[in-house]
Amino acid sequence: MTQPQRDRLGAAQAELLRALLADGEVPAGFDEERVRIEKRALLNKRRGIVEMLRPDVAAELGERFRPLFDAYARAHPKEVGTRFREDAARFAEWAVARGESTAPKKRWWRRAT
Amino acid sequence: MEKLGVGIGWRPEIDLTVEQLPGVDFVEVVAENLHVSHLPESVLLLRERGVPVLPHAVSLSLGGAEPVDAQRVAHLAALAEALDAPLVSDHVCFVRAGGLDSGHLMPLPRTRDALDVLVANVKAARQDLPVPLALENVAALLEWPDGELTEGQFLAELVDRTDCHLLIDVANLYANARNLGTDVSRFLDEIPLERLAYVHVAGGEEHQGVYHDTHAHAVIPEVLDVLAQLRARVDPPGVLLERDDDYPADAELAGELAAIRAVLG
Repeated sequence: MTQPQRDRLGAAQAELLRALLADGEVPAGFDEERVRIEKRALLNKRRGIVEMLRPDVAAELGERFRPLFDAYARAHPKEVGTRFREDAARFAEWAVARGESTAPKKRWWRRAT
Repeated sequence: MEKLGVGIGWRPEIDLTVEQLPGVDFVEVVAENLHVSHLPESVLLLRERGVPVLPHAVSLSLGGAEPVDAQRVAHLAALAEALDAPLVSDHVCFVRAGGLDSGHLMPLPRTRDALDVLVANVKAARQDLPVPLALENVAALLEWPDGELTEGQFLAELVDRTDCHLLIDVANLYANARNLGTDVSRFLDEIPLERLAYVHVAGGEEHQGVYHDTHAHAVIPEVLDVLAQLRARVDPPGVLLERDDDYPADAELAGELAAIRAVLG
């Protein structure tokens, strides 16, 4: 019953999220400065969560953590179904693949089973 | 609505604090962070003491264009039953769209289209929930163009069409007044206060001229002033302090709860 509304709303919401998360164009009618502020707030939040989940990665990268994470985030917007732990793990792998960070050492202990 | 009193958001990082703070009449848990079959000992202890525990969801994306995810609703329903909760809540927002996850509570366009979709989603969710659903106003940093209703009118119509309750976050209302020019007095006049389930209070900070609702800073006097404006119109059934990061000493949280009580009178 609400399909036409859903289609219009969905297109508008997707366009806004592309602008905010994936460097898409600012949709018509939005204040560009406001979109920039929201974009930064969402990026700060995502980075903060990854930092909390992987303090080891953030510590190893030090001052490079922020610019590197921001570059990763713009190229890899968080997709539906991706958990924050997966996001953090993917960033860690991305940093290793780029030679920015060393692969974590294998754990020498075993988990109790 | 059932009288709840003054409460605080239960978080694993402050579980002992929440258990030990004097005068915590009720708590709220973030629904997505709990497993029904492994409820934290601290939450079970609070339940044993008879403290109401209200599941608060952040991921239903009720204002999203897609139909609600039945699994997320089922989790919220199961949690409400496990905790014997009087009600559950989520937000007037969307979280996901076009395959992307914002990781945040995004504001809706205040249009008839958005309202129709939100109403349909809320009705669908309510069918699978064993207890009433309260919906919360969010803090927005940006405004959608072509709004057809004020935020207060939008919420009033939502309540009218779905019979949901309201969870009014006075910090979010302050943020929208500060950042987007929302008229607090008009908002409070327009919403059906008789449908108020409870109120959220939280801290934030101003950064480069923009107020950020961080839940990681102290509650500012301006937010308590919005609470006072609400209190002048209605005696809210409950008021809950949300703190999600940079947890202060217990005495500071106790002080914030006392400040809330002082406003309620």
